[in-house]
Amino acid sequence: MAAADVRDMLDLPAEGQPRPHKKQKVVEKRPEGITRELYALLGERAPPIAINENRYKGRPKWMSKLRVRPWQMTPFVNSARSDGLVLRHWQRKHEPGKVPALERSEMEVDEKKDDKDNNNNNNNNNNNNTNNTNNNNNNNTNTPEIPAQESSFSKYNVKARVPNRYTDEEYNRHLQSDKWSRQETDYLMDLVEEYDLRWVVIADRYDYQPHPVDAEANANALVPAKQYRTMEQMKDRFYVIASAMLALEHPPSEMSEAEFELHEKMKNFDPDRERSRKELAALQLNRSADEVREESILLEELKRITANEQDFITERRELYSRLEVPISVGNTTMYQSSQGLSQLLQTLLQADKTKKRRSIMGPEGAAPSPAGQTPAPNAPGSARDSRADTPNAAAPAAPPTNKKAAAAAAAAAAAANKEAQQAVRTLTPAEEAKYGVQHHDRLAPGVQFRSDRAQKMTQAKSNVQTQKLAAALAELEVPLRLIMPTERVCKDFEKLIHSVNLLLEARKVAEKVEGEIRVLEAAKEERERKTKETQDKDKPEVKSEQDDQLLSTADAAIEAATAPDPLSTADAGDKTADDSGTAGPGQEGASHKRSASVLSNMSDKSSKRQRK
Amino acid sequence: MLANVNMNPSIPPSTAEYGGDEVSAIVLDPGYSTTRAGFAGEDTPKSLIPTYYGKYSLDGQENLIFGDDVFVTPRPGLSIHNPIGRDGIVEDWDMAEKVWEYAFTSRLTGPKPGNPLQNGLNDVSEGELPTEMEGVEFEEKLLADSPLLMSEPGWNPTKAREKTIEIAMEKWGTPAFYLARNGVLSAFAAGKASALVIDVGASNISVTPVHDGMILKRGVQHSPLGGDYVSSQIRALFKTSAPQPISITPHYLISSKTLVDAGQPPQVKHKTFPPGRAPDASYRSLLEERTLSEFKECVVQVWPGPNKLSATGPNGVLNEEVAKSNPGRPFEFPDGYNQVFGVDRYRVVESLFDAKAAIPDPESVLPAPSPAQTVPELIKNALNGVDVDVRPHLLANVVVTGASSLLYGFTDRLNQELMQMFPGPRVRISAPGNTAERKFGSWIGGSILASLGTFHQMWISKKEFDEHGPNIVEKRCK
Repeated sequence: MAAADVRDMLDLPAEGQPRPHKKQKVVEKRPEGITRELYALLGERAPPIAINENRYKGRPKWMSKLRVRPWQMTPFVNSARSDGLVLRHWQRKHEPGKVPALERSEMEVDEKKDDKDNNNNNNNNNNNNTNNTNNNNNNNTNTPEIPAQESSFSKYNVKARVPNRYTDEEYNRHLQSDKWSRQETDYLMDLVEEYDLRWVVIADRYDYQPHPVDAEANANALVPAKQYRTMEQMKDRFYVIASAMLALEHPPSEMSEAEFELHEKMKNFDPDRERSRKELAALQLNRSADEVREESILLEELKRITANEQDFITERRELYSRLEVPISVGNTTMYQSSQGLSQLLQTLLQADKTKKRRSIMGPEGAAPSPAGQTPAPNAPGSARDSRADTPNAAAPAAPPTNKKAAAAAAAAAAAANKEAQQAVRTLTPAEEAKYGVQHHDRLAPGVQFRSDRAQKMTQAKSNVQTQKLAAALAELEVPLRLIMPTERVCKDFEKLIHSVNLLLEARKVAEKVEGEIRVLEAAKEERERKTKETQDKDKPEVKSEQDDQLLSTADAAIEAATAPDPLSTADAGDKTADDSGTAGPGQEGASHKRSASVLSNMSDKSSKRQRK
Repeated sequence: MLANVNMNPSIPPSTAEYGGDEVSAIVLDPGYSTTRAGFAGEDTPKSLIPTYYGKYSLDGQENLIFGDDVFVTPRPGLSIHNPIGRDGIVEDWDMAEKVWEYAFTSRLTGPKPGNPLQNGLNDVSEGELPTEMEGVEFEEKLLADSPLLMSEPGWNPTKAREKTIEIAMEKWGTPAFYLARNGVLSAFAAGKASALVIDVGASNISVTPVHDGMILKRGVQHSPLGGDYVSSQIRALFKTSAPQPISITPHYLISSKTLVDAGQPPQVKHKTFPPGRAPDASYRSLLEERTLSEFKECVVQVWPGPNKLSATGPNGVLNEEVAKSNPGRPFEFPDGYNQVFGVDRYRVVESLFDAKAAIPDPESVLPAPSPAQTVPELIKNALNGVDVDVRPHLLANVVVTGASSLLYGFTDRLNQELMQMFPGPRVRISAPGNTAERKFGSWIGGSILASLGTFHQMWISKKEFDEHGPNIVEKRCK
């Protein structure tokens, strides 16, 4: 069973792929002019040897099949001429029966000619075609009566369109002029027609003789001073006539648009303006080299200025576009984790999408979106989109601060919008308090959270101190992270922390002084014990003196340390109590009590230690 | 004719539509020094002969010599004449006609049509008697088969034009004739329909503004400072030359010479003619002129600018000093005298641009030039004669032609002068580098024009001439 049959049965396309060829045996052809034996000696891979036979190459074979195509001197006329001048040129001769496809059109022309005047076809050439069956061609000799063909160039005889000539009546009624006589007008019109409206040439050749007289008479007669006509005068006269003739032909109301335009243009020709323009052109042409140089310098300067201006404008535009971009409302710390980053990416993608959509939606969406996170309030569709996508965008384990931040940002943006809407409206202090409007001396860039700021305060420089602070707060039952960080709560928290810090500081100082006192007391006791012993035995003078000195200094130190200590701490405690009392009525009262107890505790402890 | 309605004159025909359609026209471009003739459609004139002709009498019979033969044999009493006047207008019409005829017959049409029965071209192989030939007019006119296009200077008077068409139609029997201005033809040769043509010929420099293939008559300017004027300046220079005045001895007067060093008097043996057998002085001056043209070709140089030769150059050095520092050029005269020419080779042509720089020569037939005759002034006057709107266009299309414009450095200087005169508009000179194109500019333009298919409607036919008389040339050849 052949493969084709199998294919046929399985409805496979016949010969999907060409079958691999059988290995071809490369048979090199033995070049001509070398014997078989010699060629066999060359082996398989013979170097390329060019074996040339010296012989005349001649014309390629295909050329010999072509017949010589005779040319013929044929007369022709040009219909652009009125006198029927017959000129002669060489043309390929028509041979019936062998019409080359290429020259169909030419042949058609010839055939037409044949039909008309079969008898006149010339056949002077002796190389008769074997297949020339047309008898008409054989019985004539070259005669001068060969019909002249039409020249293919006659179609280029075109004249410019000049207005219709006026009749006598028309001239007298419409075209009279003080400056132009009828004869001169005629002359001008002739010239215009002759030179196809080339005004440069017309003005050059304009040479109107008021009274055409022959040369001899001219020499004797008094020639009136010839009027010199400028091109503007000629144009003026011509356009007056042309527009008048056009209007006579079609009243302006019936003119086509192009005609009307032409009519208006000709009617409005102002020779004076044209003249002054030409004067200016002449001035421009005859400038001196210095003037030209100056102009080129000025032009260069102008170019530079415009280029600078362009730069300036683009820079300014860039600046504006930057200013218009909403300030990023997010806290960058949130993007420091990989989760935050992925979320940012998604929100950006989202923003991109909405932007695209908005641009399709039209100019409505042209307003720049405040930020990727906050949907523009004036694009409800996109806002809905982004809202729908928010769950996606917010990663499952996204920290709660992000949501808060978003909300805060939205609120801020809304507030900003509102503010922008009612731009100038001064608020009373009460209203300010009501709306939570604040004025800051200095704003830190970006957005901060109050809770963050409050929390930052609980972090002291050293770890020990932080722990102490935390312990103090724990004792006061104030949480490290504020539950409701409102403005006022934060302010009070700040004060609390401040006073706690003061107390801690005071305690540190107190402990230090206490320690010193203890050391000194211990030294004193030791000394007393020793003096007692020496008094019991013998009394070394020098040593006691030294000890005395030591003792006196220690005493002074104790006095200095103990005397202000309770006062200052009490002071601080009072102050915090006062402040918290004024600030927070309920909660702060509790803290006051607690702080007092802490103080008492601390003083107890210190006294205990003192006692120890 | 109906097809014409569809043609819009403002749309040029497409490239494929342009085309030559040759009608074996002959183009004749007569000049003061040479006469050029040839078939239209060729790139150089086949027949180039001097316009000068020789006249001598032998055995009481007056003989004429035309063509290059005039230079060859110093026949006794041979005098040289020119049918064309110094201003380029034909003076001697009979002789001009003969010179022009010689231009056709020597190379183009053959000496005489001859009897077509005997010239061997019409032999009938089968022995039939060519009976039709009997009616043929044997006295065929010279140009019976060929339309003739002739050129003329822009200031050719009407009478001369009418005379020309009479000769062409009545004497030569041309079927069609046209008379074109050589400025227009030169512009066509440069491929421009509008141009400012500066033609530096042998007897004249002419400046012709051409607009759309027509000359602007009021702008046509010409002055006699052509190649012959340069020759006269060279002669004046030779007279005052140091170390000794140089005299030009043509070759025909020299029987033998020996080599001499530069500046040394020539060692030459002159040929002597028996009394009464010597040729006329005009013959000698014609042959001297040949030496001078050689001198012009080899030595003479136009100061390239930027200023006049007598002025100071841009870097404060006198131009003349710069010219002196350039290496000189040696030239050997036919008698063996040779000399190196330094700054003098600039001086002889400087007066084409600066009338004050002319070397005075009271013996010269040509008067000293006036400032208005210099090339820059001619151009300025020509431009002032045309409408201001076309002037910038003309300046952007300056065509330089004529054999004398081949003087070394001529176009450079011209460019400098034009830039100085018109610093504002763009000046662009178009001067073909090919010497043949420069020499035969107007002939080549005629060759192009006469072989164009669109030109056939312009010819003045014999019929029209018969109807309207010679004045038709004024109406048709505008």
